[in-house]
Amino acid sequence: MKAPIIQVKNLNHVFPSGVQALKNVSFDVYPGEFLVIIGLSGSGKSTLLRCLNRLLDPTSGEIYFENRRIDQAKGQEVREIRRQLAMIFQHFNLIPRQTVLTNVLMGRLGSTPTWRSWLHLFKPEEKEKAMSLLRLVGIEGKAHQRADQLSGGQQQRVAIARALCQDPKVILADEPVASLDPATCRSVMDYLRKVNQELGITVICSLHFLSLVREYGTRVLALRYGQIVYEGRPAEITPEWFKKIYGEEAREVHVD
Amino acid sequence: MLIDPNRFKRVAFDSVLMTYSAALIVWALGLSPFMHDKESAIHNMSVILVQLALTFAAAIAINVSLFLLNFDTPGAYLFERPRKPLSRSFSGLYLAVVFVLTVYASLVATDASLRELLDEQGWAGAARLFSDLAHPNWSLLPESVIEVIETIFIAFLGTLVAVPIAFLLAFAAAKNLMRGPVAFTFYLALRTVLNITRSVEPLIWAIIFSVWVGVGPFAGMLALLLHSIASLTKQYSELIEGVSEGPLDAIRSTGARPLQVIWFGVVPQVVLPYIAFTIYRWDINVRMATVIGLVGGGGIGTLLIRYQGQAMWKEVGCIVAVIAVVVWLMDTASAYIREALK
Repeated sequence: MKAPIIQVKNLNHVFPSGVQALKNVSFDVYPGEFLVIIGLSGSGKSTLLRCLNRLLDPTSGEIYFENRRIDQAKGQEVREIRRQLAMIFQHFNLIPRQTVLTNVLMGRLGSTPTWRSWLHLFKPEEKEKAMSLLRLVGIEGKAHQRADQLSGGQQQRVAIARALCQDPKVILADEPVASLDPATCRSVMDYLRKVNQELGITVICSLHFLSLVREYGTRVLALRYGQIVYEGRPAEITPEWFKKIYGEEAREVHVD
Repeated sequence: MLIDPNRFKRVAFDSVLMTYSAALIVWALGLSPFMHDKESAIHNMSVILVQLALTFAAAIAINVSLFLLNFDTPGAYLFERPRKPLSRSFSGLYLAVVFVLTVYASLVATDASLRELLDEQGWAGAARLFSDLAHPNWSLLPESVIEVIETIFIAFLGTLVAVPIAFLLAFAAAKNLMRGPVAFTFYLALRTVLNITRSVEPLIWAIIFSVWVGVGPFAGMLALLLHSIASLTKQYSELIEGVSEGPLDAIRSTGARPLQVIWFGVVPQVVLPYIAFTIYRWDINVRMATVIGLVGGGGIGTLLIRYQGQAMWKEVGCIVAVIAVVVWLMDTASAYIREALK
């Protein structure tokens, strides 16, 4: 087995309000995986992903990325980590009123000096790269449209292109399809799988629907009240496990 | 018991009200020789103050008793749960009497007089004035137009120079960007300075600057500039505080530096509302520049005060007409532009 690309050891996160969002979370992520994180809203999925790229500072515990400890990293080092661990969001978080192409080029900010980026002096090869990524996610025709005029599914594909523009080793996807309709939802998940399988980028993705988990995930991690309650293969989630993860009242719904 | 803050407030409120109504009644009935007119009041201020203090002491004693007797005073309605509707209680009547006496006192204080308002001579004077205003002396039109152009340029420069300064200051005046102890202290200091600057009327700034750089359009422009910087910084920073955090997180997670996060995450979200606020500010500044001209800030205001001082109402009529047209045009134009930017 390959060496893990990310290792998390006894990670804790306590919010200033005193809420403990993560309790002693430990797991490994292997290169090329499509790791899915499931759990109820508020179970700590977002907090976990945001600790990995240091949008949030862990309260205690250790995080290793390619055997380098990153949970205490500061300044330039944090920015270098973020460049390699790209993130996509539930609400896409594109920059409004800017073109699709400009939004994709934002992925280059981590590798562009401030003065050059302020003047919008992106290199021709960067623009070409951005265009080819838009082709990859099937919306090269929209490159010069305003990003906020696109549909939800198209916006999320722009966000994937922006993430890829960072040349990341890992993509952290925080509920990427939770605000999309079922049909668009599959198309976005298909692009994420394509990125995972064809470009070999490791994906860590939080999801709500178990049917999507079974279809796309290579491994599953379940959080409940900030603790890992299940780790294994998607096919191995039995009705008993389902109740353990989501509570006795829960019933599974399907997305087709 | 009396230490309870609401009971304390109740007695304090009732005592102040009782002292005030006692003084009003004494004055209205002409019972005190010291409160007959302004001069005697000023000369006998110390006596009046001692009397007021004694009355207040008595009022406290009475109101503490009323409180102990569980009487529904006005303060009880304000700070405690009342038992009877105010309109059917003794307090209601009491408050009504105080209100009527206050209206009477303010009528006397403003020298209000129906006789003067309907006075034949005054009536004729006003009619002459209005008739002159309505028949403007159009020979003053060229000069008025030239002066109003100066006013528009004063307003334009005052706004234009304020924009880049306010643009930079706004980031430091936005709470969501100024995190950490040093940044937050700077934020508080800047906000305080801006609030003080904004609370001083541009009219006062114009007087200060006309002493500093001499009477004229430059002083007017500087006054508008200072006021515009303070106002625009506040409006801009409120827009920055209202930006959605999502895009900022997205820019941050590409590995961007803080200045890149501001430039690519914050600025695109605020630039259009910035333009709308700026045009509106220019519109306000044109009107303000006119008023500033009255105290020597140059432009059409200075022209206006010159003819008004000589009671040349036909000329004033021409100037007012020019101002009205410009204000109406600016108002309409800025409304269209702001609508188009939405």
